[in-house]
Amino acid sequence: MLQLLSSVFTLYQERADWFAGLLADHIALAFCAIVMSLIIGLALGIWISEHPRIAPAVMGLCNVLYTIPAISLLGILIPFSGIGNETAVIALTIYGVMPMVRNTYAGLTTLDADILEAAKGMGSTRLQTLLRVKLPMAAGVILAGVRNMVVMTISVAGIASFVGAGGLGVAIYRGITIYNPAMTAAGSILIALLALAFDLALGKLEKYFKKRGSL
Amino acid sequence: MEETVIRFEHVWKSYGEQPVLKDFSLEIGKGEFLAVIGRSGCGKTTALKLVNGLIVPDTGRVEVKGQDISCADPVMLRRQIGYAIQNVGLFPHMTVEKNIAYVPSVSRMDGWKGEDRRKKTEELLRQVGLSPALAGRFPRELSGGQRQRVGIARALAASPDILLMDEPFGAVDAITREQLQDEILKIHRERGLTVLFVTHDIEEALKLGTRVLVMEEGTVQQCDIPSRLLSAPATDFVEKLVCRRREPEVRM
Ligand SMILES: Nc1ncnc2c1ncn2[C@@H]1O[C@H](COP(=O)(O)OP(=O)(O)O)[C@@H](O)[C@H]1O
Ligand SMILES: [Mg+2]
Repeated sequence: MLQLLSSVFTLYQERADWFAGLLADHIALAFCAIVMSLIIGLALGIWISEHPRIAPAVMGLCNVLYTIPAISLLGILIPFSGIGNETAVIALTIYGVMPMVRNTYAGLTTLDADILEAAKGMGSTRLQTLLRVKLPMAAGVILAGVRNMVVMTISVAGIASFVGAGGLGVAIYRGITIYNPAMTAAGSILIALLALAFDLALGKLEKYFKKRGSL
Repeated sequence: MEETVIRFEHVWKSYGEQPVLKDFSLEIGKGEFLAVIGRSGCGKTTALKLVNGLIVPDTGRVEVKGQDISCADPVMLRRQIGYAIQNVGLFPHMTVEKNIAYVPSVSRMDGWKGEDRRKKTEELLRQVGLSPALAGRFPRELSGGQRQRVGIARALAASPDILLMDEPFGAVDAITREQLQDEILKIHRERGLTVLFVTHDIEEALKLGTRVLVMEEGTVQQCDIPSRLLSAPATDFVEKLVCRRREPEVRM
């Protein structure tokens, strides 16, 4: 074990530039998927919370997509979008949308009814109620979904190299094919650290919103 | 009689099979303080929400300032009517100042930016008996009575001439309650507002109302000045209700 760790460190030293490049690719790949998930998930979550009748259908679909194993989702997508980063981003987005929709919907539909009635009774339009009252009050719950989604996207992006995408998955995949466990571990450790860093940062932000948004 | 500001005409409203308002008719004149009293579930809140269009009658009509509200834009209507509810409903993510400035802000009223907003908020806080120093606090940092007061200040901010209040002093102790009653009397007198005030406390109704409306099971039992409610109760229900009070404190 110790030996593995020390060879991981030598790897980092010897191939620092290569790992830095992979890390940058990984961040770029995850970032694309995160932005897409954020936009689509938020929009979908808002939409179904304003139209509760279609909510079960959309949530059901998201749940089904979420249960497809990552590897098979990538495989299913190859005939449509080929191999490369594009397929990886699409797959990661499909995954990321689920926690975003779930938390946005939960956050927006469990708000204090009295407060919403006050907002409406004082003459807010539907959009004003959404932007000024509902979303700020749901921010804590939505942010928990963002945190969940970001961490998941960063780690699942590690298998994107199986469809020829870049990122730290390249090191993992190469480590497996050339039978070099240290290289696989080196890639995995960087992914874990990256996910951890984002988790901590978003956790801080979440705490701040929770403190402001709820009584 | 003075100019009618709110008029209910033969309003029926039911939820499913259960009728909540039965042929409810009523006129409220300009500057009146109408206290609405009745048992829990008799339809007081329903009647109140008909005025700002939160509830729509099944049949019959509601007029505000001579206009049938089913023809009015509900958003514009509500911005002209102050609304204070029992559980206050302050926005937890906004400071006291932002809560108070909410209606002027969503209706983009002039003179509610920056320094102007601060001055107007302070003035309103003083009017409801609060220190201007509270402007920067969040609702969770206030006591129950302070929140109720902020709720009233918020309802008054856009200078409405009609004020709807649904058991606004429900959740405070007796002493605070009495202070709040005096504040609202003062505000009513100073501003010449038309107030529709729901309560389940007969003493409060008699103390505050220029007229008191007694409701039971969705019908009007009696609607009269407080002294006549005491001297000439129209039904057994009214008689029982007014007999239950301890010390009569009647607004003349
Ligand atoms: N949204 C609703 N759905 C079904 N029943 C309702 C609804 N709102 C009120 N009710 C019923 O209508 C009756 C009158 O309610 P409400 O006007 O709130 O009474 P009050 O304010 O006098 O206590 C009650 O019996 C209540 O259960
Ligand atoms: Mg009520």
